[in-house]
Amino acid sequence: MRSGLKGGASGGRLRGATASLILCGPAVALYGGFIVLPALLGFAYSLTDWTGWTGTPDFIGLANFRELCSDTLFFKSVRFTLFETAMIVVFFTFFSMALAVLLDKLRVWKGLIRGLFFYPYVLSIIVSALLFTYLANYREGAVNLLLRALHLDMLAQDWMADRALAPYFIFTLVAWSGLGFFTTLYLANLQTIPGELYEAARIDGAGPLSVFSRIQFPMLLPTVTTNSVLALITGINLFPQIVVTTQGGPGFDTFTIGYYIYHLGYQKDRLGYAAAVSFMTFAALVAVAAVQVAVLRRRQVSL
Amino acid sequence: MAVLGLVLLGGLAGCGGDSGGNVIRVTRNIGGREGFRHHFETWKATFEQANPGWTMELTDLGNADGAQFYKTRIATGDLPEVIMTWQLTNFLADGGNLVPLPDSYYEQFGIPLPTPYEGKRYTSQAGMQIQGIAVNKAMWDDIGVTEPPESWEEWFAAFHKLQEKGYKPLVLGGREWSAAQPLFYALSSDLYDRTVDSGQASWTKRRDAGEVRFATDPIVRQAIETMFYLVDHFVDKGAGSDGYNEEQRDFYGGKGAAWFMGCWMAGDLEPNRVGFDMEYWPVPSMIGRPPVFICTSAMPNGWAVTTSATGEKLDKAMAVMEAFYDPGVYQAFLNGECQFGEAAKVPAKAPQYDWAPAQHLIENMSENLAAYGTTRGFHIALDDMPPPSFHDLMARVMQEIVAGTRDIDRLLQILDDEWESARKGM
Repeated sequence: MRSGLKGGASGGRLRGATASLILCGPAVALYGGFIVLPALLGFAYSLTDWTGWTGTPDFIGLANFRELCSDTLFFKSVRFTLFETAMIVVFFTFFSMALAVLLDKLRVWKGLIRGLFFYPYVLSIIVSALLFTYLANYREGAVNLLLRALHLDMLAQDWMADRALAPYFIFTLVAWSGLGFFTTLYLANLQTIPGELYEAARIDGAGPLSVFSRIQFPMLLPTVTTNSVLALITGINLFPQIVVTTQGGPGFDTFTIGYYIYHLGYQKDRLGYAAAVSFMTFAALVAVAAVQVAVLRRRQVSL
Repeated sequence: MAVLGLVLLGGLAGCGGDSGGNVIRVTRNIGGREGFRHHFETWKATFEQANPGWTMELTDLGNADGAQFYKTRIATGDLPEVIMTWQLTNFLADGGNLVPLPDSYYEQFGIPLPTPYEGKRYTSQAGMQIQGIAVNKAMWDDIGVTEPPESWEEWFAAFHKLQEKGYKPLVLGGREWSAAQPLFYALSSDLYDRTVDSGQASWTKRRDAGEVRFATDPIVRQAIETMFYLVDHFVDKGAGSDGYNEEQRDFYGGKGAAWFMGCWMAGDLEPNRVGFDMEYWPVPSMIGRPPVFICTSAMPNGWAVTTSATGEKLDKAMAVMEAFYDPGVYQAFLNGECQFGEAAKVPAKAPQYDWAPAQHLIENMSENLAAYGTTRGFHIALDDMPPPSFHDLMARVMQEIVAGTRDIDRLLQILDDEWESARKGM
């Protein structure tokens, strides 16, 4: 009887392992083949001077990483990326929360107004960026045409090519296209807050500010974690917006890390060095994301 | 799993290899250029008529230079059989992707032998492409200037007169590669010896050897200062938003007196029905030299056969290369690109247009080309070229200037740093 039980247990484990292999195997194989393996190959290429034109790159050890330490354009790209990311994280974490709370209070045209905010997210990033390129053209862009029509010619600017304005132009594009998504996550979270809590607060005489600070904000913290991590990823990965609009200009002013990697790999034919930049960025991102998630998880509350 | 694996393997296998069938794939940068499309269609029809059962298939590179496309195809082992190479010939040859052409190919059509790269020649010499300055004749007549100004100072003096008459002297957009044109002209015409065989190493080679630098070369400094003046006085606010398309639209729309653009712009006059007379003037000098056109096709930059073509396909790929010099095809090429013929044994010698303003422009180009001549600038040979991204770098420096940077040392430092960084990609 005991051995029968033992045999049954080991058979169950075997069946479980087989089921796991069947269920997870394809996903693991695809993830390994298309994500992990290329990442490992990327690191291998970072140790070479590969240009992409030949199949036999030369091994150069850590020379690319040494060059990276004194690469002023890389650090300029990092600074710009962090500047954009800071604005994006703050905006998508807090402004979209405030907007979600306001939209949650809507009683009329609820679906329509929420839909209007979500609509830009449905557009591809390329379409959104092209749209902004047309809007922001100095001579014929809708923004400047409107300003001129209102006799505010002095406010008409070269939004994309003025180095003081270009960073905010990029931010506005990202904010416009992503706001609906981040707001929707908060709205979904707001729907999960039990009505009893609001009822109790009302009986206790709590005002809107107290309801927000004592009930909604603590209950939204899991989404704050999610949104801030997603916003961080959005900021660090800024690339298509740059390619379509400023192409890194004026000069090198709007180079993000992603655009710099593209510039190195495809405009300068330095794929080995581009791989080194990618690897360092990846390592830095993993560290930042780990710290961010650890800090935010500690602050979450659960019912 | 097994089925999934087979599907994946099958899919991956399908990425490589040739196109199969009796097809020769040929790359061409058509984009929206009707003249280029007409040339390709004429070429295709001529090849297919001479080679029944075979098809010539277009791979349109659009407005790109093909580098990204070619690198991707090299990685998948699937380069088209015949490709445009531009300044990428040496990269493609280094990777063992090109088939050398025999001297008999060039002799057959009377084509001047291109400079060999490591002892071999790979490309058709398509034609001679020049760069100069297109001008709106009526505007210049209005200020009494009928001959090309000799120096940048004379050009600027004329620009001021044009402004006084209410004309926009120059069309220049800062958003794309075309932003580089004025700086490219200044460097290319004055930094390099006009005689390539002067015995002295070129500026490019001396720069690579560390004998000269942008930061310390007085001619480069003068070129940047010239650009400051140009941008400060003649480039409109908002130019940073504009690119090549806006420049073209303004100039063809009669809204600008001058456009620093390559001779290929003339190939677009007929399709765009541009109805006024233009002339094509040489590039002025900053250092007292005579004005000159810049020849940008001295290096081998035509079409080449790739190692994707083997067996019978190699013969047919060579047939495609030969069909390029069919008189009708070559004429269509010269018209579309507005280039001058270099194949002595082919009757087509220069573009021929039915559209009067285009024909007037090409006649003026020919006349001025004979009068002022060309310099190769930095287009010397495949082993004597700046890094391929140099034009992009010059465009970024011009963007900096348009955006207000006046720190000349910083701009010169950018040129040096980026030159060295780009060299490591070669």
